[in-house]
Amino acid sequence: MSKQQLPFPRNHLPFYHSNNSVLNAAPTTQSTSINRRNFMKLASITAAGPAIAARFPLHSPVAAQSLTSSERELLLLAIDAAKDAGAHYADARIIRSQFEAVSTREQTITQIQNTDSFGINLRALVGGSWGFAATQVLTRDSVAAMAREAVTVANANNAVAPAQTTLAPVDIFPDANWVTPHSVDPFLIAIEDKASLLLRINEEALRVNNVRYASSSILSVKEERMLATTEGSLINQTFLRINPAVNITAISNDGRDFQTRNAVIEPAGRGYEYVMGLELAGNAERWAEEAAMKLEAAPVEPGKWDLVLHPSNLWLTIHESIGHPTELDRALGFEANYAGTSFIHPPEDVIGKLKLGPEFMQFVGNRTEFGGCATTGWDDEGVPAESWPIIKDGIFVDYQTTRDQVGLISDYTGIERSHGCAYGQDWESMPFQRMPNVSMLPGEQGLSQEDVIASTDRGILIEGRGSYSIDQQRYNIQFGGQVFWEIRNGRKYQMLRDIAYVGRTPEFWNALDVIGGSSTYYLGASFGDAKGQPMQVNAVSHGCPISLFRNIDIINTA
Amino acid sequence: MAEAKGLPADELRAISDRVLQFSEADHCRVRINSGWRGYTRVATNRITSAGGSDSTSVNITSIFGKRVASVDTNRLDDSDLLNAVRRSEQMARLVPENPEYLPELGPQRYQSNAAYYPETGELEPATRAEAAAIAIDRANTAGQIVSSYMDVRAGISSIGTSNSLFGSHSSTAVAYTLTSRSPDGLQSGWAGDEANNWNNIESQRIADDAVRKCRDWRKTPLDPGEYTVILEPTAMGMLMLRMMNSFNRRTADEGRSYFSNPNGGNRIGEQLFDERVSFWSDPAFVDSETAPFNSVGQPLSRQSWVENGRLVNLACSRFWAQRLGVEALPGPSNFIMQGGDNSLEEMIASTKKGVLLTRFWYIRGLNPRIISYTGLSRDGTFLIEDGKIARPVTNFRFNQSLVSMLENVEMVGPAVRVAASENSSVNTAIVVPPVKAIGFNLSSVSDAI
Repeated sequence: MSKQQLPFPRNHLPFYHSNNSVLNAAPTTQSTSINRRNFMKLASITAAGPAIAARFPLHSPVAAQSLTSSERELLLLAIDAAKDAGAHYADARIIRSQFEAVSTREQTITQIQNTDSFGINLRALVGGSWGFAATQVLTRDSVAAMAREAVTVANANNAVAPAQTTLAPVDIFPDANWVTPHSVDPFLIAIEDKASLLLRINEEALRVNNVRYASSSILSVKEERMLATTEGSLINQTFLRINPAVNITAISNDGRDFQTRNAVIEPAGRGYEYVMGLELAGNAERWAEEAAMKLEAAPVEPGKWDLVLHPSNLWLTIHESIGHPTELDRALGFEANYAGTSFIHPPEDVIGKLKLGPEFMQFVGNRTEFGGCATTGWDDEGVPAESWPIIKDGIFVDYQTTRDQVGLISDYTGIERSHGCAYGQDWESMPFQRMPNVSMLPGEQGLSQEDVIASTDRGILIEGRGSYSIDQQRYNIQFGGQVFWEIRNGRKYQMLRDIAYVGRTPEFWNALDVIGGSSTYYLGASFGDAKGQPMQVNAVSHGCPISLFRNIDIINTA
Repeated sequence: MAEAKGLPADELRAISDRVLQFSEADHCRVRINSGWRGYTRVATNRITSAGGSDSTSVNITSIFGKRVASVDTNRLDDSDLLNAVRRSEQMARLVPENPEYLPELGPQRYQSNAAYYPETGELEPATRAEAAAIAIDRANTAGQIVSSYMDVRAGISSIGTSNSLFGSHSSTAVAYTLTSRSPDGLQSGWAGDEANNWNNIESQRIADDAVRKCRDWRKTPLDPGEYTVILEPTAMGMLMLRMMNSFNRRTADEGRSYFSNPNGGNRIGEQLFDERVSFWSDPAFVDSETAPFNSVGQPLSRQSWVENGRLVNLACSRFWAQRLGVEALPGPSNFIMQGGDNSLEEMIASTKKGVLLTRFWYIRGLNPRIISYTGLSRDGTFLIEDGKIARPVTNFRFNQSLVSMLENVEMVGPAVRVAASENSSVNTAIVVPPVKAIGFNLSSVSDAI
């Protein structure tokens, strides 16, 4: 275990964006020791928007779980049918996924869409081979047939090329429950409230000169999952995730240029209280001003610059260059035909040996972080959520694992149990190893954002995720951003534009020189982590402090 | 012949009519997708997963005045459908008006096409495993390690409205791709195809090509820079999959596209690319057929976008068309580039110095003003010198405007359907030729294999 716990993410505090002082560079006065209890106090203050607070008192237990006892019976029926058909292990899931999308542009509602998808699946192990089947027809006959089909497929696969599969030990949880910590279920907030918030955001943005177009949306997700295994676990969980998004376009007076400001807000594994704390309408004008300022920004001079990466940009760099190459299935070649392999391989040569950054650089994989999109109670094969070091003191020490993988590297890590990274996106999808939250710990010196900016005489501060691209072994990076500030003599000087930073992952992370303290810790996230064939998406978060990298190559993308 | 996958057309119609009967809204639109997906995946020379599932989902859009909301459900009992209809109505009553909403379409004429190939619809696990076994055998013989994926879809979709519109369309598609690597991880080769008709997937040839490319490719140094490139059809198709989405009139008229006229409006009618460049879409294009209607029920037919380098059309939504007083033009459902007479061999023979590219990876937009993209080459990059393939070379990142690439086309070969999606699932049908173009910006080296 890491000696330091992950701090509370700053952008999950109510009023974060109004204090985010990028324009006025006010010194931060935010307490660095906000714990969860204090946060809930803050959350209730923000949420005291009178109408909503009256309708949805905070901390009320939400009736999030609608799966019934008859569905539990179907799950056990599937497990029994698989055992009878000859599976020596099986796990089955009933999954109900609900999505609600509210989308707007300018003063127009462009989409109101509610999606509800419900079905059951089963994964069976025969010999060393997996078989999988799924159905949306929830009758006893159909579910039993589905379970037998999974066993038939496993048999067939084992006949083509028999495999060795060992499942790591796991504790049994015969009656477990977990719900994403939240105070307001987004599905209980009226759609017209969401729509009117979005239209207000657009209206505020459109007040700014040159800003012609503004679109915004809120995507809410609720997943109810019940898992049963032949080993005796029965786990019932409800996940909430929410993704508010704003995209603003400014057009130059001569009609020859346009610039956008988007990726302003991070998705989160939380309830609607997160959105209420964001003050979206109050901040829209500032984001719009940034879009307009980009039209007038100075072109960057390509070459070597010090880079100060705000966590709203750095989280995606972590996702691409640390998160993906430390997926064990990639390192072992299982994703070669699509997502690719990994430069962090072979396991026996890199575990405990490969230096990926300076000694103060610490990364943890976790499925426990507050607000994390990959935060859970148990994974899709019943492994309890945990947090573990991936990079310790700058050295790579462990991968992301599932039960059938961990034995392949336990000789080098000394770890016999899965880190709990199995996930399948919906009832139709077979679970496999997916990325947990992978986060970088803040520095122990407790530096502020201003301290980090002051650490370079000639640098560029980058905020927000832009265009991002990385090769299939995760070496060659090219990442853009949303807003770029030239730093001169330790202070923000002027806005720049058309920037991407390029490099090779190991050299890039070894150029990390200064990191902020826990007051700068921020949680970025994506709903769109893609992997597998058939391709499945995973939602994942990455926390990190503001960070300074020395002498990084910058290109002009204009 | 086995039954076609997905619910029968008359059952789809019955569900659609039932939803419309339940509806109490001013207008209602029902879209149904019903079908089967099967897949087989190989890694480390064995089948690692295989499976399949049938699914049907019903999308219900209810409209009161200009208030619009949709619900999507996969529960098909009458009571579930009624619930879904009521839910969409509840939502629609409450949301603000959408001033851009236009009344539902009435009956339309759709050109039928034979997109359902029974050979694809019957592609059962055993047949898919045979293809996998061929690939595993070829790889084992060559001392290589293969990963492959076969993705199969078969089913039916429909659209119906409360203004008496109904249409349905059955189709199949299959994508088969294969990556072969050397055990030391220093060599990699790829081949793959996509088709509506399984008979057009040459699984032996794909296995042979990937194994041969892996054998021939082991990186050697080459400096980044501007090169003449020969894009194999897959590489070209992966870029054109992005290009097809740029033909949008509203975005152009609003001043946020390459096709915007700085003085207002757009550039329809202007010569923008080399005269060998012609793009069109056609729902009846053989082996790349698509539904002859889009998500609001507009009929689709053969439509030119670029003719001999001249921009001739931009897709225009019903709302934007009404505002401009022009005819609406639905966007492309597949994308076809006119082929030419030059073979790949001729392209190589005519090249003094250039780079041959098999496929790309992680393509992302850079600058929409010039339709520029970045991405990386993968699984087969070769240096051409004096009309011959001289040696395999390192992979590169490219930073390239597709506009300038299409201005700088030098040779064009025969067009074929390609597996253009990076994840190798069945995707929008893309039919493109191999292309030789000058001045392609290979901006940095990628060490990845």
